[in-house]
Amino acid sequence: MTTNPHNPHLSTTGPETAEDTLRIIANLPAPDGLQSRVHHALRRTPRRGRVLAWPATIKPQSNWMRTAAAAAIVFVVAGSGWGVYTRVEQNRPAKVLFMPRVAAPGGFSGAGAIRTPDTVPGPAAPQPVKAKTARKPAPKAASANSSAGQANPQK
Amino acid sequence: MSTSQAILAGWMEIPDSAVNEEARRAGDAALGALVDQYAAALYRVAYSVLRNPADAEDAVQEAFLRVVRHRDTLNEVRDHRVWLIRIVWNIVLDRKRRAKTRPETDDVAELARVLPSNGLSAEEVAAAAQHHAHVLACVEQLPPKEREVLMLSAFEELSSVEIAAVLGITESSARSRLFRARNLVAGLLDHTRTSK
Repeated sequence: MTTNPHNPHLSTTGPETAEDTLRIIANLPAPDGLQSRVHHALRRTPRRGRVLAWPATIKPQSNWMRTAAAAAIVFVVAGSGWGVYTRVEQNRPAKVLFMPRVAAPGGFSGAGAIRTPDTVPGPAAPQPVKAKTARKPAPKAASANSSAGQANPQK
Repeated sequence: MSTSQAILAGWMEIPDSAVNEEARRAGDAALGALVDQYAAALYRVAYSVLRNPADAEDAVQEAFLRVVRHRDTLNEVRDHRVWLIRIVWNIVLDRKRRAKTRPETDDVAELARVLPSNGLSAEEVAAAAQHHAHVLACVEQLPPKEREVLMLSAFEELSSVEIAAVLGITESSARSRLFRARNLVAGLLDHTRTSK
């Protein structure tokens, strides 16, 4: 069984050896002047950023400042809305392009001629002739009987 | 100071009297006290991981620079020692993750330089350094969680509760990890001894 050169009472096998080694390293003294060097390094670090404040005359808490800010917001919103309104054209007709007809390659073109079909005069049907019929006037007695019969149908 | 500068200073900057100057001085004094009290302990923690004096000192300075940024919350910290160790622990782990792994021979030379000789001869010191470097190489083979607990347990000033607080785990987790780490490192050391 071998022994630890730094501590002859300790064996060099097993977990104790590892922990002894780690303990020796963990207990090594810190170098001289470590604290002063750390102090020096901390002094060299820049201070935190400077705090900027509003000028005393334009404190954001003042009423007129709030009013001006609100007015500025309204102005910006209204101005941008007006700008959009004036730039957009309303009811603009769609552009339609009429492309000329192109004949098939190798063929003849119509040279812009438009074919009009031959019109044939249709058959003329004779108009029916209406005969004029005179209406006979109804006799007065017959009309009187019929009116009485209508008045008392039980008789 | 020119007129424009004076106007700018008078108009735009809050004068020092407006800021709580006394509170700032008190914060500076508290920070200085923390440096005096804990810089050495933080250095030892940093050195145990980095094993390089310059890197360890840089880590300590960086830790205190982080504290400066949060100096307003110093009063809210319950345990300054654990809080500072946690800061420097995160810094050194981050640095170690980024740094390339150094060869073991560097560790041996560095350990031979820094370890206490206690009246040992040069050969004995070299053998001791080699032995410790071998043990540290075995510790490096442990899983990160177990290794961290084992390394922190070497600091006698840290209880298991404080180790758990530094690592952000429960005390029972810290204990079980330490138990596993001890078993693992014992197995590793036995394995290397028998293979020789």
